[in-house]
Amino acid sequence: MKRSLPVALIIVALTVVACGSGASTIPNNLEGAAATIYAGDCMEDTGNEVTVYSGRSEDLVQPVLDAFECATGISTLTNFGDPTDLALALTEEGDRTPADVFLSKSPGAVGFLRNEGLLSPLSSEITRLVDGKNVAADDTWVGITGRQRVLVYNVDEVDAAELPSSVFELTDEKYRGRVGIPATNGSFQDWFTVFRAQEGDDVAIEWLEAMVANDAIKTESNRPTVDAVGRGEFDFGLVNHYYNFQEAEALGDAHRAKNHTFASDDIGSLVIVTAAGITSSSENVAAAEELISFMLSEEAQTFFTTDTLEYPLAAGVDPASVLPSLNDDGADFDVSFDTLGNGLQRTVEIIDESGING
Amino acid sequence: MTSDVRGHRAAPLSLRALATVATVLLAGPGVYLLIRNFTSDADPAGLLISDRTTGPLWRTLKLATLVSLSTAVLGTGLAWLTTRTDLPFRRTFRVLLTLPLVFPTFIGAAALVRTLNPGGLVNDLLSGVGVDRTPTVDGLSGSWLVLTLFTYPYVYLPVAARFARLPGSIEQSARLLGNSAASVFRRIILPQVAGSITAGTLLVYLYAISDFGAVSILRYDTLTRAIASNQLANRPVALALSLLLLILAAAVVLAERATRRRYSKVAVARSMTAAQVPLGRWKWPLTGVVAFVVLNALGAPLAALIDWSVRGLERGRRNGRGLTVDANEIAEVTWNTLRVSAITAVAAVLLVLPIAVLVGRYRSRIGGIGHAVAISTFALPGILIALAATFFISASDWTFDTFHNTMVILIFSYVVRFAALAMGTTLLAVQLVPQRVRDASQTLGASSGRRFISVELPLMLPGLLAAGGLVLLSTMKELPISLLLSPFEFETLATRIFSTFNESFVAEAGLMALALVVLSFVATWALIIRPTERSTARETESLRQR
Repeated sequence: MKRSLPVALIIVALTVVACGSGASTIPNNLEGAAATIYAGDCMEDTGNEVTVYSGRSEDLVQPVLDAFECATGISTLTNFGDPTDLALALTEEGDRTPADVFLSKSPGAVGFLRNEGLLSPLSSEITRLVDGKNVAADDTWVGITGRQRVLVYNVDEVDAAELPSSVFELTDEKYRGRVGIPATNGSFQDWFTVFRAQEGDDVAIEWLEAMVANDAIKTESNRPTVDAVGRGEFDFGLVNHYYNFQEAEALGDAHRAKNHTFASDDIGSLVIVTAAGITSSSENVAAAEELISFMLSEEAQTFFTTDTLEYPLAAGVDPASVLPSLNDDGADFDVSFDTLGNGLQRTVEIIDESGING
Repeated sequence: MTSDVRGHRAAPLSLRALATVATVLLAGPGVYLLIRNFTSDADPAGLLISDRTTGPLWRTLKLATLVSLSTAVLGTGLAWLTTRTDLPFRRTFRVLLTLPLVFPTFIGAAALVRTLNPGGLVNDLLSGVGVDRTPTVDGLSGSWLVLTLFTYPYVYLPVAARFARLPGSIEQSARLLGNSAASVFRRIILPQVAGSITAGTLLVYLYAISDFGAVSILRYDTLTRAIASNQLANRPVALALSLLLLILAAAVVLAERATRRRYSKVAVARSMTAAQVPLGRWKWPLTGVVAFVVLNALGAPLAALIDWSVRGLERGRRNGRGLTVDANEIAEVTWNTLRVSAITAVAAVLLVLPIAVLVGRYRSRIGGIGHAVAISTFALPGILIALAATFFISASDWTFDTFHNTMVILIFSYVVRFAALAMGTTLLAVQLVPQRVRDASQTLGASSGRRFISVELPLMLPGLLAAGGLVLLSTMKELPISLLLSPFEFETLATRIFSTFNESFVAEAGLMALALVVLSFVATWALIIRPTERSTARETESLRQR
């Protein structure tokens, strides 16, 4: 009796060693969210396989990958994770990496990989699918969806009259100690890098230091910021639009926050893209490009806006009706995200030096 | 008391060889950091005089010191109350007090904040009695509170295990000689458990400097934040800061060793079961204190997790968006988590055992080095251990093809991450085997290997199970290594909780976090509580028969 536990553990150990991880198999047809993307019968398995390092969550991306497998007969193997961690792993793996496609939540990680020489240029067949501002200058990555920067606010604590039309107004005395800034977060850093490129370092540094002087609250990332504003711990947060929708969907009326969009020509309402690229060591470029094209197809883009509530970037798909429309006559920021990889180092230095971290 | 033979004879060659191999394997992340620092433009020394480093460094030291002090007091107090007094419900408390260990801090801290902070669940409850706004848990005090609540089990578990085996006769005689209860505790009991307290507190210290999940949610800026910010932006700075973290850890480990008067001698129970100190009029107030700890460390995060889950399930019924996980997926992921953690637990104990035997019984430099390496590595964030593993297997085609994205490298990395947790309790288990037992079996002519397996291992088993249990609980919640090194399509509860929670799918994350709590409840009972109780019961029984 007293030996049963170790014996049981050894049996468990053997079981695990015995079952290797099997590759996914393609079903005959799709169910659930994936079926809204591709409704037909599935193609026969071609034996071809694309390996994906996904810095975007499984809950947002897996239905598209399933639909892709079904529609093309190309199977996918995915490693989901944090985009920063996956990018670092790729640098350690170098040419040996099995990854063909890299998906990122924001341009920072793909910009970093491009600088490390780990991404190869995409063909014009893909890059022409989206607006030029959402493509890297050397075509190494392409935007898939957009997340707009917004000001999330607590509906019980904030008067509509208090809502600013520009991010520059937040340095005003009336916002003292009320604004959360996820300064450690990738999407804020990417936004700040574009801000610097657009307005110049002097203006950007002055703004951030004024925010710090105005007792802005440093937060960690978008979700906890939206959570805190929803509870009324503080009144405002500078975040991506997407999180408040998910939080409201999850909590219903208990979530007391709404998004406010700055004026369309204000840097505060920039759209940050999620991005995809192909590794320079990929030996399966054709299939990898097919996957990225699929993510930019009308069906996938429709899924991304209706189900994951992001802004579509391709195929003429309109944003879901719950999303405020992006004002087309707003100024196009003539800064592409391309500067991000190089600018990130200086951005982090500026943020550190502003004293917002502590 | 047993006689100590440490240093009297040389360790067997095979044992030294095993310990050397284990030490080399455990040193991987440190070696990786050194190599990467030398091959990049990193300037660890230069960073020490930069404002950008000294601020986070100072805050890290402050937090780790405060958390160590509070967990030492809280862990020891709780251990004493639940093992050596007539505290009501102490068996239940013994299980519940272990569980806060299981929350991955990124969701545990967020859930706790959701319950306690302004506008949270407690605020909603108290608004009925006129409390407008609960105090905000954040910054240094908040991080101190939350890390104390989530890490005191590192002290509580080994100290409780030590208390359970401490003869009650000591207290009884001392009391009969007229010492006050407080003086007995200070002069008699405390020295007996001091070794376990320092070992546990050291783990807390190292954990506190490695934590990113809790401090980031609580908005307290430490070295791990500085590392995270620079990972992509400035790789050399991130590498140098990581090395700084490791040097800090090594310094603490060595300092602890220098102040310690050899490994504490272990008294073996010779009396009947441990005496139960009657708490008298303190009984209910102290029960209240213990319940208050459980309420905050376990109840507060659970309340938010349940709230998220219930709202998610209701949403499905009122035709909102469906959940992105179903019962089948949760079951599969739970099973994955359990089996990978169980193997890790066994592997970790096996790997540290040769080092523990060397340290516990012989005077050996290898043992000392292996022990220090295993413990210091606990201060490194998991992502560094995952990257180190990737770096080493990427050295050649063969190693890459053999190990990349396999269970082997995943489990190995978990073992390196958590070897420190297995070390202390394993060492104690090794020391608990009485010298006379070893002498007797030697006299009977058993070979050293057979003797070890047939005589000593069964005696150590409760201790080894507790060591494995601690590793198991920690592996079940481990995130960065699981995310990066898992075989394709292999997911654990922690990775699914992360991917859902991070995108605000809070109901899905809540349900899976609850699955994690249930799983750890069962594991704690089966691996830590029950074996200890049974072995104590067996010993009591055999003493009675004598």
